This record gives sequence, structure tokens and C-alpha cells, in this order.
Amino acid sequence: MNDGKIAVNSTFKKRFTKGMKKFLAQRYLQLFAILGTIFLIVFCYAPMTGIIIAFKDYKVSTGFAGFFTSKWASNNGMKHFIDLFKSSAFPMVMRNTIVLSLLKLIFSFPAPILFAIALNEVRNAKIKRVVQTVSYLPHFISWVVVYGLVFTFLNTSTGVINRVLVENNIISQPIEFLASPDYFWALAVITDVWKELGWWSIIFLAAMAGIDQNLYEAAKVDGASRLRCIWHITLPSIKGTIMVVLILSVGSLMTGGLGGSNFEQSFLMGNKVNYEKSAVLGYFIYETGLVNLRYSYATAAGLFQSMISLVLVFITNTLSKKTTGYGLF
Amino acid sequence: MKRLRKDNSGDAILDIIVYVIITLVFITTFYPFYYSIIMSFNEGSDAVRGGIYFWPRKFTLENYKAVMSIDYIYTAMLVSIARTVIGTICSLSFTGLFAYSISHKNLMFRNFYITLMIITLYFSGGLVPYYMVLKELGLINSFLVYIIPNLLGVFNAIIMMSFFREIPDSLKEAAIIDGANDLKIFFKIIVPISTPLFATIALYMGVWHWNTWNDAAFFVTKKSLKTMSYVLISLINQTESAARITETSGALGTTNVHRSKYTAETLRPAAMMVVVLPIICVYPFLQKYFVKGIMIGSIKG
Repeated sequence: MNDGKIAVNSTFKKRFTKGMKKFLAQRYLQLFAILGTIFLIVFCYAPMTGIIIAFKDYKVSTGFAGFFTSKWASNNGMKHFIDLFKSSAFPMVMRNTIVLSLLKLIFSFPAPILFAIALNEVRNAKIKRVVQTVSYLPHFISWVVVYGLVFTFLNTSTGVINRVLVENNIISQPIEFLASPDYFWALAVITDVWKELGWWSIIFLAAMAGIDQNLYEAAKVDGASRLRCIWHITLPSIKGTIMVVLILSVGSLMTGGLGGSNFEQSFLMGNKVNYEKSAVLGYFIYETGLVNLRYSYATAAGLFQSMISLVLVFITNTLSKKTTGYGLF
Repeated sequence: MKRLRKDNSGDAILDIIVYVIITLVFITTFYPFYYSIIMSFNEGSDAVRGGIYFWPRKFTLENYKAVMSIDYIYTAMLVSIARTVIGTICSLSFTGLFAYSISHKNLMFRNFYITLMIITLYFSGGLVPYYMVLKELGLINSFLVYIIPNLLGVFNAIIMMSFFREIPDSLKEAAIIDGANDLKIFFKIIVPISTPLFATIALYMGVWHWNTWNDAAFFVTKKSLKTMSYVLISLINQTESAARITETSGALGTTNVHRSKYTAETLRPAAMMVVVLPIICVYPFLQKYFVKGIMIGSIKG
């Protein structure tokens, strides 16, 4: 019995020293891997432990330690969630989030595919390159500037749209595009499509570049029109890419799809006048947390949002794997 | 013969649709920028009269002079440039070294490191706990809040990792025989052959640093530490409320707005152009890297 223990010990020791040797041999790599991991622990995992304050009555004066020491909230810690679901703002915020996200999915997801197909049909290489280059410029422009452009374009005194409409007597009074709840959804969706259209088309164009040109030649010989070629060759060939992008967009549905623009649009283009249509969950979290300083309540709302996102990612991934065989993980 | 002709007419329609789509995309993308440029060079009181679509009518540089006289504009520029340069260098090195380390198949605890990294893609603590952590670290109202929390970009790390994984070991072998350590191999061999990758990621990071405004809005209250993006936001919001005041209670703004050479409507585009200019400048030269970058990223997907 004793002998056995010693034997186990010695093999363990051997293994350990062997491991140590290997570890020391790769000490530089380990150093940076560990540094990166420390970063993740501090800036990603420490905030995750902070989720606990969604179930507590957190006071800001208690700092980080307060995450753990503050008292549990009433109703078995569910007080803030109950408050959230019962609050009068909640149905409005949820409606805005869901409507905006779905609208963006409906328009922002197919638009780059359509644009890529159109671009792929352009035979003139120069035109193709110029249009493509211009089309993804907005991706690199911040939402702040997009907001500025929208404002410059749509304001009531010098905005081009209002000017053209008024000068041609189509309308008598300039339309308050930005200071009216009626236009916010349309504005949000159009700017979202506008900003990310060119960028996401790159991925689809890349997939199209990989299609075997012989397929098109063969189809041509058979007398197929180009439209038929698009339908029967181009689209099926990029199915995998389309699915991956679809999963990504559905997974990030709560934050506004591919561009993840819900919060930024709400923060920048939203104002007191269009609040009823512009306030989304992300903005609500910011407002209750960092403006009204209801930390626990805002964290509860944040956790609610993360959970829905997580569920969406898993559902779409599973569905996609079952139906098409493509998945992210 | 008949069938052929029918197909041809279909193709002609297709061509028309194709060109309508790309013309539409081209104009809607290009014109807003162009319009903002001409507005920024037009006299403010003249712009209010309208009718400026293709060329400034009364050319002036007053708008830009006015932008340059905004409070804290120079410090904001300095902060923006500093965070972009320092932030990009720091996070490129940090993310690059991290990605290189975990790209080694024989690295001990590799799966642990990677799993820990991947989880953060799907789940996060949310805004408020993140804010509390930054506060605890003393990063609120500090320039370092622009740099340190952005040292490691997980998406970029994954892109870089999948790139490093494809580098054949044979390239490193000679150096290993010479007794070079991993650091030396990274800087002497890996970095030189991965220049397109580093250029791409550096550009992503640089553009991100220049554009982002959330941290300046949430985590910094000192005026002297605000960035250009943030200055632009407050400028737009200011002119928005100013415009409302003039619209609703006419007399208030009119006298002093109409007499000056710039108004809110021309000042705003000028400020926008100042913010966009650096990006427009690097854009034509480096857009091929951007495209390459998204390809590298999509291989992984």
C-alpha cells in the first residue's frame, strides 16, 4: 500500500517536473497568454461577477467589494426584475427594441446580398471598383458623423430633402424628421442599411469570386439567361456565407443586428420628442444606470438583454446546423 | 432563335436594374458627404436661403475658423490623436503577442486560455458593472481609460490567431536551431512576414479609436479629456437645441445668427469634416488592406 503511494507520488513528481520544464521552455508565450488572461479576468470576468448586483440592493459607495457584501434585494432577490417588468417604460422599450431589430433584420440583412449580386453583374471593372470603394466608406465613419450627416440633410431650414419638397410645392411646411416620433424607425433602418450595406457586400462578393466560372459557361451554352444564372448558380453557391451572416445578425438582434446600431442610434438620434419611439433597451440601461444611478435596476435590465441575446445565438445556431449544416460552433 | 431573343431582352432588363441599384448606392453614399463639404464652405446666412446643391454659392472659410475657436477643440484633437496613436500601438502589441502565444498548438493550458476568451464574445457583465470596475481601478476621468480597457480586442485576437496558425513551422525552425527564443522569433520572423495582417488590424484599431465616443461620454467628465467625436456630439446637440429655439421663439437667435458668417447649419458640417478628414485621408491608400482584413476574418467564419 505504501509502495503504491510512493509510486504514484513519484510519477506525479515526474509528470510535474516534466510539465514545469515544458512550461519554462515556453515561458515567453506563457507570459503573454497569462497577461492576456489577466486582462480578460479584470475587464470581462470581474464585470460578469458584478451581475450579482441585479439581485441585490447595491450602493455605489461600497465599490467593487459591495458587489458581494451588499444586501440581497427583497422578493428573493428578484425585486429589480419585478420592478423592471412592471415599469411603465418597459413595454415601450421592448416594443422599440424588437420592432427596430426586426426591421433591421428584414432590410439590412438582404440589402448587401442584393447589392453584391448587382455589383457582380457589372462587367465594367472600373465602375465596379469605384462604386464598391465608395459603398463601404460609411462603415468607417462613426455614428456621430452619420448623425451629423442626417441632421445636415434633414433639418428643417437647410436640409436638402425639405428644401426640394418645399420648393417643388410637394409639402407646404418642412417636415420635422428628427423631432417627430413618426420618422424615427424609418430613419434608423435607412441609416443602418446605408452604413453597413457596402461593408457586408464584401463578404458576399468574396464568396462569389470563388464560384467556378465553368458553371456559368455551361449554363450559357444551355441558353440560360443571366437572371437564371443568378438564381441557380450564384445564390446556391453563396448559401453558406448567407447562413453564417444570418446567424450573426439574428444573434445580435437585440443590439440591432450586424451593425449593432440600436444603442448608438437611440443615444444620438433620440431626443425628448421622439423618445417614445427611439428608446431601446440598451438606451434604457444606460439611462437608468449611468444617468439616474439606479445601478441594481439597470444591471437587472442588462442581464435580461444578455440572456435574450445568448438564447437567440444558440437557437439560430442549432436551427441552422439542423437545416443547412452550417454553424458557428 | 426566338428563345435567344427573349433571353437577351431579359438580360437588358437585368442590366438596367443592376445599374439602377449601383447608381442609387453610389449617389446615396457619395452625395451626403459631398453636400456636407459644400455646406461647410458656404456662408452661413446665405445657406439658409437654400438652393445650394452642387457648389458653394458664397465661398468662405469662416465655418472652419469658427470650429477652431470652439472651447477645448485643440485639447480634444490632441486627446483624439494621442488615444488613436498610443491606443493602436499598445493594443496591437498586446493583442498580437497574446494571439501569437495562443496560436501555438503545444502551448500548455491553451484550451483554457482560448475558452476563456471565446466566452467573452457571447456574454458580458453589461454597462453598469463594467463602469464600477473601471471606477474601482481609478480609470474614470483618466486618459488611461481610453487605452487600458482596449488593450485586448477579442475579435482581432481571433483573426490574428487564425493567421499565425497558418504560418508553416519550417519558417521558424532555422531560428529555433540558432537558439532564438520565442520573443525573438516573433519580432524577427513573424512580424515581418505578417505585415499585411498587422497593417489591417492596426487600421481597424486606429479607425475604431478615432471614431469611438462611448468611453468619452460615459467614463470621462473632465472637459479637457474629451475627444473630437464627443465634441462633435455636443456641438450637434447644441445647434439642435439652438435651432429649435430660433424656430419656436423666432426673435431669440435671429439677430446674432444672421449677422455672422456662419450659422449652426454650416458650422456643423465643418466640424464633421474635421472629424472625418483623417479617415478620408487614409481611406484610398489603405482600403485594400481593409478588404484583405475582412477576408482573413471570414476564413475563420
